[in-house]
Amino acid sequence: MKNIFLLTGKDFRRKWRNPVVIIGFLLIPFVFTLIFASIFGASEDEEALPRISVITVDKDKSLLSRFFLSSLSQGELKKLLSLQEAEEAKGRKLLDKGKASALLIIPENFGDHLWEGREVEILLLKNPAEQYLPQIVQEICDTASLLFSSLFSVFSDELDTIKGFVDDNQFSDENVSMISIKFKSKFESISKYVFPPVISLTEKTRAEEEKEEASALTISSYILPAIAVMFLLFICNVVFEDILREKESGTLMRMTVSPLKLSEFIWSKIVTSAAIGMICTLVLIVLGRFIFSIQWGHPLLVLAVVFCLNIVMAGFIAFLYSFVRTERQAGAVLSSVILVMALLGGSMIPVDNFPPLVQTFSKFTLNYWGILAFHKTMLQDPIREIFPILLSMVVVGLLLSLLGSYFLEKSLRKGLLK
Amino acid sequence: MLKIAHLSKSFDSLKAVDDISFEVKEGEIFGFLGPNGAGKTTTISMISGLLKPDDGIILVDSLDLKTQLRKIKKIMGVVPQDMAFYEELSAKENLLFWGKLQGVSRKTLDERIQYYLDKTGLLGRENDPLKKYSGGMKRRINLILGLIHQPRLLLLDEPTIGIDVQTKLNIYEVIREASSRGTTILYTTHNLLEAEELCHRIAIIDQGKILAEGTLSELIQIVGEKDIVVISGTFDVDQGQKIISSFKEATVISLREGQLVISLEASKRMTTLLEEFFKEGISVDDVSIKQPNLESVFLKLTGKELRE
Repeated sequence: MKNIFLLTGKDFRRKWRNPVVIIGFLLIPFVFTLIFASIFGASEDEEALPRISVITVDKDKSLLSRFFLSSLSQGELKKLLSLQEAEEAKGRKLLDKGKASALLIIPENFGDHLWEGREVEILLLKNPAEQYLPQIVQEICDTASLLFSSLFSVFSDELDTIKGFVDDNQFSDENVSMISIKFKSKFESISKYVFPPVISLTEKTRAEEEKEEASALTISSYILPAIAVMFLLFICNVVFEDILREKESGTLMRMTVSPLKLSEFIWSKIVTSAAIGMICTLVLIVLGRFIFSIQWGHPLLVLAVVFCLNIVMAGFIAFLYSFVRTERQAGAVLSSVILVMALLGGSMIPVDNFPPLVQTFSKFTLNYWGILAFHKTMLQDPIREIFPILLSMVVVGLLLSLLGSYFLEKSLRKGLLK
Repeated sequence: MLKIAHLSKSFDSLKAVDDISFEVKEGEIFGFLGPNGAGKTTTISMISGLLKPDDGIILVDSLDLKTQLRKIKKIMGVVPQDMAFYEELSAKENLLFWGKLQGVSRKTLDERIQYYLDKTGLLGRENDPLKKYSGGMKRRINLILGLIHQPRLLLLDEPTIGIDVQTKLNIYEVIREASSRGTTILYTTHNLLEAEELCHRIAIIDQGKILAEGTLSELIQIVGEKDIVVISGTFDVDQGQKIISSFKEATVISLREGQLVISLEASKRMTTLLEEFFKEGISVDDVSIKQPNLESVFLKLTGKELRE
């Protein structure tokens, strides 16, 4: 055991002096996540859409036209739309220059036609240079128009009465009371159809929202663990490559003529590989937390996943190394196996997208179980669901390490003398 | 300290080591002299436990290598022909690592590192990574790595290949010093001068067999007072045979097309011999006369020069 730690210390010192390859493999998952997150997702700060600039031209300037326009700047719409009133010519010019996403024109006699129950048409000109924002304005205007139309259909009698009062300027207390009673009775009669509302609005505190966010996977929280598992295998490979390099350089031969056992040398590589893998995983987890706001789950559980995952990865690579004799063979075999496993195991494409048969094969990859374990901790699944995965990882890892150590020792003994 | 009896090793049909036996006493520097491919490294590999002999016995300090390899490894040091250390690490880090691997305490290691670096003129450079060292400096570190645990038996496999004279002399000094402290040294080389200068006893090995063994003076007696003469020219074996059969003072060591090697008691008779060649109309390109030394011993024993 003492010798294993002595050798591990030596390997750590060597990797520390020449960390370029490991840092490279460590940065790739981070950079990939950064790229994917910027393409397909957004960070917390960027979640809100920019306010959409809309120029309004009110040719009617009636009570109803103002009421319609002001309805577009109420409540949540106020956060979404930025309304700017202008003359038609100026409005069109601004739209042509791309200064707005849409131009909304309320025609003359808009109010009169509405009172009279005649059809009215409002004009929405969209900025052709923009793809989504004008579409959003159109949806909002459609909804507002529909609401206005419904309002005028349902309360047409009451509105006619109001119009009569407006025209004759007869806003006495008695008339207003009468109209109010009419509105009330109409509401009461339709209330059984309208209430309770099918759609309800729930208000939450930010703390409550954060708790819920923790149980949802963002694009970053999917991509980072998925790609990290693949590149952690490459990092393990870098440590194991040293076995063949030490064989070539003669340091392994020098060790075997010392009191050191060959199995201690092999186990030191397994320990070094697992330890370096754990450090790299923790670095990625910390980066993921602070840069991509990934909620990894309970720290102790995350540590357990990191530990078990790296045990099984080191064992797996040790096992593979018992089949290769040269660095060239190792490069070809290991890269192929790691890439195929990454593809099948969900490091490149989510496993859910595969046909059922392929999904069965996915379950034979380390990537699948590694990603699953991380996702389960992120989703705060119960420990009883995570524990069997971790236990399987450790058992398989130790088994592969034992097999790898046995076969690797045999293969190294044969090839010690070049 | 080291006893080898009837040691053999074959690789397929090639007999790399063929029934060799020798003994090395405590504190002795034993030279293993032979050309490349003679079986020196194979022998060292078997003694160090890297290769399993086909036959024979290896005893180190009366311990049988077959059964007590682990104990033997603790008292043995090996300096391989190729430099074997970690170039990214400094000299001190390397020495500490290899020393600890041999079970030496940190305190003792610190003292020995200081001592050996001073002895080899590397003190002050101990914290530089070895990749910054010159070839000669690396050779010296390679030697110290084998000595740091002060083994009782040290196997040196051509430790002075490709280095300058000054470094070579420094390495000799360190080896002599280890020997004087009681370390038994098996030193393989194909350099005659090195063997003459450094070794207490020498075994000449060729094609897996030990041809002769003894001190330098004992080996020279094999040649006696005779000079070794090498004649090169354009003649075939029959022509060479015809000339030399009429020349009773010479003993043929080897004869092949274009080269005749003989031992001759008085080289003044050379003129007569050369006249015989000329009478036969043979042109002689080169004649060399070697005084009795290790080179002439090697030539007499193998019929070829060591550089071949």
